[in-house]
Amino acid sequence: MMNAVEERVPVTVLTGFLGSGKTTLLNRILTENHGKKIAVIENEFGEVGIDNDLVIGAEEEIFEMNNGCICCTVRGDLIRILGHLMKRRDKFDYIMVETTGMADPGPVAQTFYVDDDMQQKLHLDAIVTLVDAKHIWEHIDDSDEAKEQVAFADVILLNKIDLVAPADLEKLEARIKSMNSMAKIYRTRDAVVEMDNILNVGGFNLDRAMEIDPKFMEPEYPFEWSGIYQLSAGTYNWVMGEGPDPAMGAALLPLANMGLAAQEATLMDAVLTFSEDEQALAGGDTMRLGKGQHNQLVLKENGETVFQFTIQQPGYYMLFTEHHPDEFAARLSAADSALAPLEEREYKPDHEHDEEVTSVGITLAGDLDLEQLNGWLGTLLREQGQDIFRMKGVLSVRGWDERFVFQGVHMLFDGRPDRPWGDDLRHNKMIFIGRNLDRAALENGFRDCLAA
Amino acid sequence: MRQRKRKSRPAQPPLKAIWRATIDDHPIGLAWSPDSKIVAVAGVSGPIMLFNGADGALQHRLPGHAFDTMAIAWRKDSQRLASVGQDGKARIWDAQTGTQKAEMDGGASWVERVAFSPVGDWLVSAAGRKLRLWNSSGELIREYPDANSTITDVKWRYDGKQFAISAYNGVVLYDPAEPEPLRRFEWQGSTLTLEWSPDGKYIATGDQDSTVHFWITDTGQDLQMWGYQTKVLELAWSFNSRYLATGGGTHVVIWDCSGKGPENTRPAMLEGHQGLIKHLKFQRQGMLLASGGKEGMLGIWKVGKKTPALLADAVFKAPIASLAWSKDDRRIAVADESGTLSIAAVQRV
Repeated sequence: MMNAVEERVPVTVLTGFLGSGKTTLLNRILTENHGKKIAVIENEFGEVGIDNDLVIGAEEEIFEMNNGCICCTVRGDLIRILGHLMKRRDKFDYIMVETTGMADPGPVAQTFYVDDDMQQKLHLDAIVTLVDAKHIWEHIDDSDEAKEQVAFADVILLNKIDLVAPADLEKLEARIKSMNSMAKIYRTRDAVVEMDNILNVGGFNLDRAMEIDPKFMEPEYPFEWSGIYQLSAGTYNWVMGEGPDPAMGAALLPLANMGLAAQEATLMDAVLTFSEDEQALAGGDTMRLGKGQHNQLVLKENGETVFQFTIQQPGYYMLFTEHHPDEFAARLSAADSALAPLEEREYKPDHEHDEEVTSVGITLAGDLDLEQLNGWLGTLLREQGQDIFRMKGVLSVRGWDERFVFQGVHMLFDGRPDRPWGDDLRHNKMIFIGRNLDRAALENGFRDCLAA
Repeated sequence: MRQRKRKSRPAQPPLKAIWRATIDDHPIGLAWSPDSKIVAVAGVSGPIMLFNGADGALQHRLPGHAFDTMAIAWRKDSQRLASVGQDGKARIWDAQTGTQKAEMDGGASWVERVAFSPVGDWLVSAAGRKLRLWNSSGELIREYPDANSTITDVKWRYDGKQFAISAYNGVVLYDPAEPEPLRRFEWQGSTLTLEWSPDGKYIATGDQDSTVHFWITDTGQDLQMWGYQTKVLELAWSFNSRYLATGGGTHVVIWDCSGKGPENTRPAMLEGHQGLIKHLKFQRQGMLLASGGKEGMLGIWKVGKKTPALLADAVFKAPIASLAWSKDDRRIAVADESGTLSIAAVQRV
């Protein structure tokens, strides 16, 4: 196969609103001493050679293509211009495509999937989006294009940070993460960024689909923290100080062993437990143990509140809390000595979704039925393909020794078997980025694809 | 789909190399002068070579265009060659002296198409959405309003009384004497190339969405052919307007337009190429079809009522970039992407 040596020329698509710093970044790329011969396709008119490099003006020509049930929009001008560039004897090492400020990146990305010549000679490396940290607020609420540019990105540069207060920057970054949890975010001034962070990123590379940042792939849990304790028989105190909330949910569940599979099973039990009705406990009350026992720890108005529980079966236990214990200076103690957890884990909080454009990450243990999966994805993309901008996944398919990796743009996707699972725990990871995504429906649909 | 029969192959290979040359560039255009005395080859990086058709002696090396040359075309008297390129210009060259006779502004930075009328004294150029009509000496006759999108192809009807352009949304017909278009054949897709049938009855198009259309020019009726593997850039009519050969995959697909036309018929699908078809050319007055593939194979097929048969093949080291038959149909010029130009004699069958 051709995978061993990638002979295709990488293409980076540069998006961002007017004034976000695209031209500054392009000039930086062209003048940086990286030894690459770069062709830039700009949305401005004219063609200029700069030393070794070439800048070509293009006029966006977007048209719709229908092929059976797949429909997509592509950039005809890019097919023509790139097709011609690839005939040149002195090949380019890299191609940058700059879109107009108001462009939806979808057509550019799809262009690299629908045309054979493009597929054979070029590969889309990444979509890099520049965000004007100061002025983005003027667009982000009501501009579809601004949202799409953030949602499609593999890399987001928060530019002009020198013009923004640190608190506003935090707020912006949180906002952007809630829209696109897949992208790598860099904060920049004058678009100064390491070339390695924007070139050869591999955003569309299946080999790198494995490198999905595990944090964003985590489902959102109804708890923020868990700790594993090894407990002998006896009575224990869970001591909480005052905190940001008057009460906190908690569940204490047995853990078979320290292995990942056991932890995963207990984690699932905890999710189910937190979905049960909670039982309010006041200071001095006894916490209930086990699956389905969702404790609601109600704190005293002042000072510490102590809850108790008794262990009869010595072994490992996992304590799940709705908030991080540190927020309440909470601790577990036996007799009079404090116990430290053997392992701790933090979970992404289950924040409110008021965003139109969001990311939905799903992880699921077990094997998928390929036929079911194909059917579900086919229907999903047919019905919601226009709203699903990007998706990526690493899947465990029944009957396959290898991981199945795939990624897609709107209705177009490609996938293939990757390296074998071997001794690794088989599981499924998938992420969708899009508009009006229904997390519950996606999770249920994905779960229904599990092999019986 | 039927198998081709090996036994129909003649004992003697009918392809015989006459001369070879190399241009050390990706050939973007290849054309015999109408009198077949000169073979012009344009390289993508700009220069245009004029070779003596008989022995391959290099007669002129025209500078062509800064950046890239995009297309070339001969005037019917073989005295002038037009070229267009990425410097925004169309140029007319004297083929005898190798000097530039005219330089014209195409109207946009990439001038992609140029065509002399087969009858009359016209030249059409297309650059982006700009369409310009000149006389064959390069004097501007008319500039048309911008097309809706980039013009992908321009071709004259056999009598020079009409020409057609293709773009996104189909085909537009013009009478060179009139500023307004004669007629539009609209299609919701990006039309990439067009070919008039030699009798002017049909315009065939190849499209980005993997379709081929037959537009019946009298009525404007659109016959759509679906099921191609890739976009279709390769179209060739037989001289008698009976057959249209198309690429768009690894098979040479032959449509028979006799009788009630190609609608609802099953085309002949010719197997033989391992790679995608890159180029197709019918003889000017004969029924031999030359096909060039991405794998570098040149195929010569006899097309007729019987199942078309592969008469000869030859393999080049790079994908076939261009093919051209000489005036007498006895020689074929083949350029591959490595820049090798080969002229071979094709025996009469």
